[in-house]
Amino acid sequence: AVLFPLGSPLNDEGKALMSIKASFSNVANVLLDWNDAHDGDFCSWRGVFCDNVSLSVASLNLSNLNLGGEISPAIGDLGNLESIDLQGNKLTGQIPDEIGNCASLIHLDLSDNLLYGDIPFSVSKLKKLELLNLKNNQLTGPIPTTLTQIPNLKTIDLAQNELSGEIPRLIYWNEVLQYLGLRGNSLTGSLSPDMCQLTGLWYFDVRGNNLTGKIPDSIGNCTSFEILDVSYNQITGEIPYNIGFLQVATLSLQGNRLTGKIPEVIGLMQALAVLDLSENELVGPIPPIFGNLSYTGKLYLHGNKLTGSIPPELGNMSKLSYLQLNDNKLVGRIPAELGKLEQLFELNLANNVLEGPIPHDISSCTALNQFNVHGNRLTGSIPLTFRNLQSLTYLNLSRNYFSGRIAIELGGIINLDTLWVHRDLSSNNFSGPVPASVGDLEHLLTLNLSGNHLNGSLPAEFGNLRSVQTIDMSFNYLSGSIPGELGQLQNLAALILNNNFLNGTIPDQLTNCFSLATLNFSYNNLSGVVPPMRNFSRFLPDSFTGNPLLCGNWLGSICSPATKS
Amino acid sequence: VTHQKSRLGSSPPSCRSKCGRCSPCKAVHVPIQPGVSIPLEYYPEAWRCKCGNHLFMP
Repeated sequence: AVLFPLGSPLNDEGKALMSIKASFSNVANVLLDWNDAHDGDFCSWRGVFCDNVSLSVASLNLSNLNLGGEISPAIGDLGNLESIDLQGNKLTGQIPDEIGNCASLIHLDLSDNLLYGDIPFSVSKLKKLELLNLKNNQLTGPIPTTLTQIPNLKTIDLAQNELSGEIPRLIYWNEVLQYLGLRGNSLTGSLSPDMCQLTGLWYFDVRGNNLTGKIPDSIGNCTSFEILDVSYNQITGEIPYNIGFLQVATLSLQGNRLTGKIPEVIGLMQALAVLDLSENELVGPIPPIFGNLSYTGKLYLHGNKLTGSIPPELGNMSKLSYLQLNDNKLVGRIPAELGKLEQLFELNLANNVLEGPIPHDISSCTALNQFNVHGNRLTGSIPLTFRNLQSLTYLNLSRNYFSGRIAIELGGIINLDTLWVHRDLSSNNFSGPVPASVGDLEHLLTLNLSGNHLNGSLPAEFGNLRSVQTIDMSFNYLSGSIPGELGQLQNLAALILNNNFLNGTIPDQLTNCFSLATLNFSYNNLSGVVPPMRNFSRFLPDSFTGNPLLCGNWLGSICSPATKS
Repeated sequence: VTHQKSRLGSSPPSCRSKCGRCSPCKAVHVPIQPGVSIPLEYYPEAWRCKCGNHLFMP
């Protein structure tokens, strides 16, 4: 770079840069060297890059500098700019019309700011533009139709703004466009059959808008698409048969109002890595031919009205890591074949009408991290082989018809953070004592065994559950006293033991549980005095009601208002 | 004018000779970061050809 003499007058571009600086705020530290009094060589200023020959500003990179203020119209005076990168600041105001004067611009990135107003129509004058990234701002108004006049535009990312109106149909007649990101706006209208004229496009994302209408029958012509995400709109009608012609790796139709059956032809789309049809109004069975999707990692069908049983063929989806079939109307048994899914990480079958036992084979899914069968009609007991599921952190067996004892082996699932096996009060229950081995679940955050037929005493080993935040053992047949060891639980926020047959006094050690905010000891046979100190002073009488021999600071207690013992 | 592919269904890329001289060249799922800053349940995923730590277009 050429060194200018100290204090030499700036040329027009230098003056434009000083105007740009003047309309920014928070510049004190970050644009210290943008100072014409000390250094007139603006090509050496932070974020300014000049052409070696013309010494004209070619690139302006001021990303992630926490800049506030506005973009000055003087930016239009930098006529040789090829790249503007102002992403990740706090810039506000409108995008100046004058940006259209930067006729050499190839790369324009103003993403992650607070810009508002319309996208200026003058953008269409940027005939060399290849990338337009305005995502994560507060832009309003329509997508300018004139964007279609930019011949080399490869990337349009306008996601996470407040753009409204329809997607201009002309935008689809662009053979060079590769990336169209429009998620998280308020766009209306329907998907046009013209969208498949985007013959060079691989990324199509309109997730989270207000699009209506049907998926066009011609969707199968979009053969260049790798990602098709139209989730969270209000798209209606059936999934067209022609979808089977797509070559996509990700197909997300989640969160629309799609009706009818799942087309079997989807089972032939082996390039699918992610298939998400969840949260629609789909009916009928899960096509057994889905077992053919042996390269698919994520299958989401939850939140529909699917009927029939879970096809055992799903056990052939050998790459599956997420399988969510919850919140449907599925019947029959859990197929043992699911045990073949060695990479399965999450299995959610909750809120269906499944019956029979949990097959032992599920214990072969050694990668399983989350297993949820809440709200079915499952019977039998927890398979002893579940101790092999060493990666399991979330186990929810609640609201079923399980019975038998809670196996000592459960204590072997060392990584468990949530154990939720409570029952509907009306249904069958686990019985027998709570195994002391539950105290081995040192990572447990939530322990909910409420509403069963558990008896015996609360194991003192619960005092080893050092991470636990919630213990709910209510509505059981527990007897004996509350172990003082619970006083070691520094993270315990809720201790819910109501409706049992617990007796003895409330151990003073519990006042050491400084996080304890919710306590329910009501309807037991506790006696003695409620500890009058520390956090116990904030628990209301409701926490202790129904213990006729318990003495505390409330009206009608067997003793006068508690005095310090 | 390109003719519409008349065959239903799809398959992962073969990745045959897509990694230059590098081998083995295998098809993998890669997450694509969409235009949001909040974490999602999943990212969209696409196929790429992978050899060592290098990714190639299929």
